[in-house]
Amino acid sequence: MGKFVQLVVDGLSTGSVYGAIALAIVLVHQATGLINFAQGGMAVLATYVAWRLTVNDVPLIFAILVSILFSFVVGAVVERWLMRRFERGDPDTAVVVTIGLLTLITGICGWLWTYNNQQFPSLFPLDTVSFLGVSISIRSIGTTLVIVVAMIALQGLFVGTKLGLALRAVAINPESAASSGLPVGRLLMVGWGLAAGLGAVAGALVAPQLTLTPGMLDSTLVYALAAVILGGLTSPIGVVVAAWIIGVLENLAAVYVPFIGFDLKVAVPFILIFVVLIVRPQGLFGRKVVVRV
Amino acid sequence: MNMHLRSRKALGIAVASALAVTMSGCGGDDTGRSGDAAEGAPSPGITDDSVTLGITTPLSGATAGPGTCTVAGVTAYFGAKNAEGGVEFGDGKTRTVEIEALDDTYDPQQAAANYDQLKGDVFAMTAGLGTPTNRAWRDAAIADEVPQVLIMTGDPLFSDTEESPWQLGFVPIYQNEGEAFGEVLATSGGDHRVAILSQNDDFGAGYVEGFKSAIEGADNIEIVDELTYEATDTSVDAQITELANSDADVFFNAMSVTPLVISSLQKAQQLGWTPSWFLPSNTSSPTAILEPGGAAAFPGIYSVSFSKAPQSPAFAEDPDVVEYLAALKQYGNYPDPPAFPHCQWSWMVGATLEQAFQNMEEPTRDSFMEALRSIENFEAPLMLPDTSVNTTEGGQPAVSTVVVQKYNGRGYDTVTAFE
Amino acid sequence: MATPSTSTSSTPSTSTASSPASPLWQRPWARWAGPPLIVVVLAVLPLVMTESANDTLARIGVFAVAVLGLNVVMGYTGQVSLGQIFFLGLGAYVTAYGVQSGWNIVLVFVLTCLIPAVVGLLVALAAARLGGLAIAMVTIALPIVGVPLAKRLSDFTGGSQGLSARFVEAPEGSGLYDDQWQLYVVLVIGGIVFLLTSLLVRGKYGRAFAIVKGNENVASSMGISPYRYKVLAFTIASLIGGVSGFLYMVVVQYTSPETMSFGHSIELLVAMVIGGAGSIVGSILGGAFYVVVPDLTNAVDPSLTALLQGALLLAVLFVLPGGLVSLPRVLMRRLRRSPAGRGSAAPPTTPSSTTGSGTAAEETETERQGHA
Repeated sequence: MGKFVQLVVDGLSTGSVYGAIALAIVLVHQATGLINFAQGGMAVLATYVAWRLTVNDVPLIFAILVSILFSFVVGAVVERWLMRRFERGDPDTAVVVTIGLLTLITGICGWLWTYNNQQFPSLFPLDTVSFLGVSISIRSIGTTLVIVVAMIALQGLFVGTKLGLALRAVAINPESAASSGLPVGRLLMVGWGLAAGLGAVAGALVAPQLTLTPGMLDSTLVYALAAVILGGLTSPIGVVVAAWIIGVLENLAAVYVPFIGFDLKVAVPFILIFVVLIVRPQGLFGRKVVVRV
Repeated sequence: MNMHLRSRKALGIAVASALAVTMSGCGGDDTGRSGDAAEGAPSPGITDDSVTLGITTPLSGATAGPGTCTVAGVTAYFGAKNAEGGVEFGDGKTRTVEIEALDDTYDPQQAAANYDQLKGDVFAMTAGLGTPTNRAWRDAAIADEVPQVLIMTGDPLFSDTEESPWQLGFVPIYQNEGEAFGEVLATSGGDHRVAILSQNDDFGAGYVEGFKSAIEGADNIEIVDELTYEATDTSVDAQITELANSDADVFFNAMSVTPLVISSLQKAQQLGWTPSWFLPSNTSSPTAILEPGGAAAFPGIYSVSFSKAPQSPAFAEDPDVVEYLAALKQYGNYPDPPAFPHCQWSWMVGATLEQAFQNMEEPTRDSFMEALRSIENFEAPLMLPDTSVNTTEGGQPAVSTVVVQKYNGRGYDTVTAFE
Repeated sequence: MATPSTSTSSTPSTSTASSPASPLWQRPWARWAGPPLIVVVLAVLPLVMTESANDTLARIGVFAVAVLGLNVVMGYTGQVSLGQIFFLGLGAYVTAYGVQSGWNIVLVFVLTCLIPAVVGLLVALAAARLGGLAIAMVTIALPIVGVPLAKRLSDFTGGSQGLSARFVEAPEGSGLYDDQWQLYVVLVIGGIVFLLTSLLVRGKYGRAFAIVKGNENVASSMGISPYRYKVLAFTIASLIGGVSGFLYMVVVQYTSPETMSFGHSIELLVAMVIGGAGSIVGSILGGAFYVVVPDLTNAVDPSLTALLQGALLLAVLFVLPGGLVSLPRVLMRRLRRSPAGRGSAAPPTTPSSTTGSGTAAEETETERQGHA
């Protein structure tokens, strides 16, 4: 029993990291209709900035806040000067542009700070709490909590605030949004900026465990995409829950289904998605999109 | 063929540009092939003043950390030598040694392509990282008679003289390292329960194979659980959790991914499981791995090694280490402290190559291979006492001797018994 | 942009009649001389070039075929597939295993076509009913699960150490070097695949693919079953992928789980878009991009390859969002617009056809732009 609970808790923690990137992807998609393959890369860049600051003895919290701000600016600039040109065109081209961006950012990080593993200080202490015979690391709890807060904030943003509404309007129909007086360009930039800022938070949470390298979030990206599809492109809560499910089930399948084992446990999220999508094509929590012909 | 106008235009331009690009590679006399060289004629890549070595290794991507080190060490070594005037070869000429390195991002196809690019210009290929990346062009190197020597992989195939006449591995084969620890454990006397976590590829499998062969027949050693992980995994917490449940008192950990080693050290502590721990030579650095991982909590962290750890305080004054660190910065284009042992290993490769150069009597690849294969008991700089380079042993790479070491809180001490 | 019309491809009369000094390639004799000329050039090329140039061309051929497969399902039929590299890897493994087991090479080739096609068919039968993103996900799963699977089935695949198979040596007495022979093999097999595929996409299947890509509801209302054509496209793409795997073994002569890594799948997608989606010539350009760019960046600075590749990719797409294949069109537009150009006739806005040729993709692109 103890092992089971332990695996679930660990799965939630890993899942939270997938969920963080997934949230950023959802945000970008809600705001600009694009899937951003460079989401993880931008998060890593921000985390490097935070790291450089901490190396120069800037307190951690402050360094992270600066990196969030930096990331927001980078996100907005990238949207305006790079992505804007591709937003209205072929979506495949836009995705490939984000892939190019990812390669470029990874190359810049490797050039400036080498490919060596850098130590990033942890926001949370490395201790554990014992609960029902299971030792849960404070870092796992902290990571999960921060993601939950982010998730609720994002859901609230989209559903409850004018900004969120404006962002969605701009993504769904830029022309009528513009004619309603919304500053379309600026809103697009804000959308990307917020997503990038969220990514910076994710990076700071994850870096202590994964060690900071230019490719730190590359494997996370695939899981994040899986969570996005499973949870529905339109639902922040949905993708985080989906990410948790993926993290937990992966662990459980690896241990309790010997045929799958640890090497094929990566198949679990995909089997899951396949099954869910047959039943509910819009994802667990997504809204059905109706297109008038 | 009825082709659409625009596509035909495009095709025309495409063919024209392809022609243009390839005309630049147009041979004329160059269309001879590398295998055509006459016996005794000087090989490519070597002149009276210089010799060029080629490296294909990952310089970007997940394995770029160790990959960059494989270039830095040998470049630094010969950079320092060139500054002193060059290396004196066995044929009497003094030559500078140039290194040409290409990035293969750990993609075997790219490694093969890099080899094709380099083989006409270099005298020998060396120091590349990885098993699949080296295997990809091994057959071609044999057919083209290009040396593929002192490469950074513990794959036994490269040291099999019959199968791989133009190859030679540098680092000990994985089986040897696992075996060294297994022997120490088997002769320890007490009863031990061993849990194993290994990387799911030839690296991990080799370690485990060596370990198991060493403890075969030893009644006091029992393997209670054995799991694997993928090099691309982000976490091995699930595996550690399961292994912790086995209540083993020795943990054999054949891992080559730095962050995963650190996190498994941390996770085991969190679970309250503190076995004696074994780590392979490439992921046992005190500063990069043991300190962040909180290794002091464990009764014993063991590793096998053949090179001095330069950040270890015990070697702070060691002249070899001092010289190495200075050269790395100055000539190796590597300003940070070495983050992976491959930097040290690459330096040793440089020293070993120098030995071969000093003994080769003709400027040919054949003569080079002969000289390389006759190095005995060469104590390369940075090698630990009781280890040496020995290329005369069939079936073994250049380094086949390792010592078992135990972490002492700051660095490592060589031990012969398990405590 | 040209107004869509349902005419067939242009006839010589329209092109030459409108402007007295029509470009070289529009003249009738060029249309007849063109293809044979290309064939002659390709036949002679391997004999005059250096070994490394031959190697590079052969590798371009391999990945051009792989990108072509991806184009069939993604460029022409609009279904996102991030698993094309899986079929290349599968084909390579089948080839390697067959060669090592000493099977007849023709049998090996046939299997390399069949096995990936069957796998692709099964995957498509299951996945094609799902929506766009879901298909993407299923195809992502292929390389991601494929790599550990390849490691696990080490009896067939050689595990993580991979399989070597040298089987393409120039026949005795032909006087050819190995690299020349390999290039010929690639050119012949690749050429046949390209020929067959271009016939496919210019025919009624190509039209059906394009309609399914444009709007599935319209397609079904026209009696074209999107499901069936998606499955067909995917199966063909997998078959072509398998062939590219065979060619991969011809050229590289080694395969390992890394061959089908997810990163390569992304690179194939990039190559397809950079070359020009939905275009036969674009596939060749995409293959060239895939192969040449790493060599190029290595030549500039081996420690900055990622940075340079990313920058290059962005630069190309910035200037040519339609991919490299749109270069002539962009250039022509520039020339037309230049004040010196005596409006040398908007060369007949060539009536675009709705066949699966290069412009089909452009059209759908502009349609999307119009409706954005």
